Amino acid sequence: MAATSMAAALAASLPAPQAAPTPSAPTYEAIPASMAKVIDIEAEIPITSVQLDAMVVSKIIKHAKEAPGSSAHGLLLGLDLDGTLEVSNSFPLPHHSNDEDDKSLKSVARYQGAMLRSLKEVQADDSVIGFYQGMTLGSFFNQTLVDTQAIHQEKLRHGGIVIVHDISQTARGNASFRAFRLTRAFLDAYKKSNFSSTSLIDHRLTFSTILEEVPLKIRTNALVSSFLSTLSEAAVPPAAATNPALATSSAAIPPSYSTLNLGLANTPRNLELIVEALDNYKTEEGNLAYLHRQIAREKAKADAYVAKRKEENASRVAAGLAPLPEEDVNRLFKIPPEPSRLESLLLLGRIDAYGKSLEETASTGLVKMYAAKGNTGN
Amino acid sequence: MPLGPPSSAIFLQNVAPGFTSTPGRTPTSVTVHPVALFSILDHYLRRNDAQDRVIGTLLGTRSENGEVEVRSAFAVLHSETAEQVAVDMEYHRTMYDLHHKVNPKEVIVGWYSTGSNLNTYSALIQNFYTQETAPHQAIHLAINTGVEEGQQAGVKAYVGSPVGVNPKPENCVFVPIPCELRFNDAERSGLDLLTSAPANPGSATFTNPASDLELLERSLQQLSDMLDRVLSYVQSVLAGEVKGDAAVGRYLMDALGPSTEDLEKGEFNSHLQDTLMVSYLANLVRSQAEVSSRLALVKAS
Repeated sequence: MAATSMAAALAASLPAPQAAPTPSAPTYEAIPASMAKVIDIEAEIPITSVQLDAMVVSKIIKHAKEAPGSSAHGLLLGLDLDGTLEVSNSFPLPHHSNDEDDKSLKSVARYQGAMLRSLKEVQADDSVIGFYQGMTLGSFFNQTLVDTQAIHQEKLRHGGIVIVHDISQTARGNASFRAFRLTRAFLDAYKKSNFSSTSLIDHRLTFSTILEEVPLKIRTNALVSSFLSTLSEAAVPPAAATNPALATSSAAIPPSYSTLNLGLANTPRNLELIVEALDNYKTEEGNLAYLHRQIAREKAKADAYVAKRKEENASRVAAGLAPLPEEDVNRLFKIPPEPSRLESLLLLGRIDAYGKSLEETASTGLVKMYAAKGNTGN
Repeated sequence: MPLGPPSSAIFLQNVAPGFTSTPGRTPTSVTVHPVALFSILDHYLRRNDAQDRVIGTLLGTRSENGEVEVRSAFAVLHSETAEQVAVDMEYHRTMYDLHHKVNPKEVIVGWYSTGSNLNTYSALIQNFYTQETAPHQAIHLAINTGVEEGQQAGVKAYVGSPVGVNPKPENCVFVPIPCELRFNDAERSGLDLLTSAPANPGSATFTNPASDLELLERSLQQLSDMLDRVLSYVQSVLAGEVKGDAAVGRYLMDALGPSTEDLEKGEFNSHLQDTLMVSYLANLVRSQAEVSSRLALVKAS
C-alpha cells in the first residue's frame, strides 16, 4: 500500500496538539499533579492495555461477517487515558480490490475524512487510534497488515494498535479479539528495510517477535449492560424454587450451548491452509537459496580476481615492473544484495498461527469426545 | 425473542393474500440486530445535555413478505424546541452515502428515537422519512432506555398511517407492529462475551476474552448444574414429595434415553483417532516452524 496519501490523510485527522489548559488569561499554567494523568499532552504514559467498547465489538463482528472473504478492515477511534487505550467507536473502510490504483487510495482517504467529520458533529470521538482486521483461522500475518501498522505506529500518538478478530472462531462460539502492535526490534529493521540474515540476527527476529500482544478488556457501559440484562434474565416465576417443573425460561437471549457440538467443522480447511502455506514457504526458501548461491558465486569470482591481481603484482614487483593498479572489484563484479527474509518470516508466522488454531480445535474436540465416551461408563 | 415488557396488544395487520410484492405495502414485523441497538444506546449516551431525545436513521433490508430487518443505525443531528423541529438532512445524506459505500445492500428503512412519546414532531419526522424510503413505508423504532423511573427498557416499532378527514403531514397514527431481536451465530458469541461477566450493576463491567477451553469448561459447568437440578427433581418425585408432571417425565425419558453403547462400533473410534492425529500434527507443525525460524538466526560461520 503506498504510504503517501494514506499518511497524509492520517496527518490531517490527527488531533491538534492541545495547548496547556488556560483559564482566561493567556498565561500557561502548570498542569496540577492530580490531572497529570488525564491530560497527557506529550503522550508520555505508555499504553499497557486496550479497552474495547461493547458497540465496537458488535460492529466489528457484523462487518467481518458481511465482508466478502476475509477482507474486512476498518479504523478504530477513541482516546487514551492513563495508560489504557479506550476504543469507543469504529467504522469500516470500503473494500478496494486494486491496491495499486491511486484513485482508490484517494477515495479511501476522502471517505475517512468525511466519516471523521460527521462523527465529530454528533460528539463521537474522532481521533484515530488504530485499525482492525478480520481474518479466518488465525492467518493475520501479511504484508499489508505490517505496512499499515508501521505507518500508524509512526504517525499516531502512542503508536496505533491493530485489533485482530477471528471470524471462524467466532462462528464456533468464542468471540476472539486480540490487540497487537509492532515490537521495537521489528520497527527498527523495518525502517531500514533491511531484512537480510545479518540484520535478523542482530535484532533477534523470529516470527513470534514481530508483534507483541497488548492485553485487551471489553467494557460495557452501564446503560448497555442494564439493557442487556433486562433482555437476558430469565423471568422465573416464584413457584419455581419448589417445583422446577414450572420454571420456564422466557429470556430474550437464551443461553446457547453451541460449544458442546461434537465434530470438527473447520479442520479440513485449516489443514488445506497449512499445506498451502508450507508450499509457499518451500518456494520462498528455494528462492532464497538460489539467491544465496548466486551471491556466493559472484563473491567467489571477485575473490579469485583479487587474488590473481595480488599474485600478478607480486610477480611484477619481483620482476621490477610497476604494479598494476588494483581495480575496484565492485565495479567489475556486481554482487546482488542480500535478499529480504521478511516474506519467509511472515509465512512462518502464518504456519504457526494455523497450527495453533488447529491445535485448539483438536483439543476441545478431544475433551468433548472423551466426555461423550465417558457416558457409557467406561 | 421479544424486546420489551410483555403487553397484551394484538397487532392488527392488513395481510390480504396476493399482497406480496406490491411496493408500498405496510411492513409486518421488524427484526433488530444488536449492532443497531448498541449504536442507538451509545448515541443516547453522547447527547448534549440540552437534548431530551435523540433521533437517527435506521439502515437495513426488506424481505418480500413484509419483514424489515434493521442492521445498523447512525445518528442524525436534530434540534427540537417548543415551536419547531429541525433535522439536518444534509448530514443524513452524507452519512447514508458513506455507509452505502461499504455495504451496498443496506437501504434506509426508517428512523429511531429514544424516549417513547409520540407527538406531532414525530409525525413530521415520520413524514420526512417516508419520503426518503418511498415507495416503501418508513418504520419508526421507539427505544425506551429505561433510565427514567417507572419506564421499563424496551423497543417498540411503529408504522405511520394517515388519520383524519384531510390527511395532513403532522397528523398520523402510529400503528404498532411486532419487533424482535435477532442475531446469527457470530453475533451470538459476541453477545455471550458481553453478558458473561458477573454483572456488577451500577458500574461498567469488564470481561476478558477467554480461550476455547475455558468456554467449554463454562458450558460444561452449566450443563452439570442443570443436570443436578433435574436429578434432584426426579428424586423428589420418586420419593413422593412432589407430584410428577407427566409431560416433563416423558420429555426427560426421550432426552436421556438413547444410550451411547453402540458408539463403540462404527465411526466414533476412528474419529477419535483422527482427532488425536490432528492434534499431534498441529504440534509438529508448530515446533517445526519454530525450529526453522531459529535456524535462520544461526550465522553460518
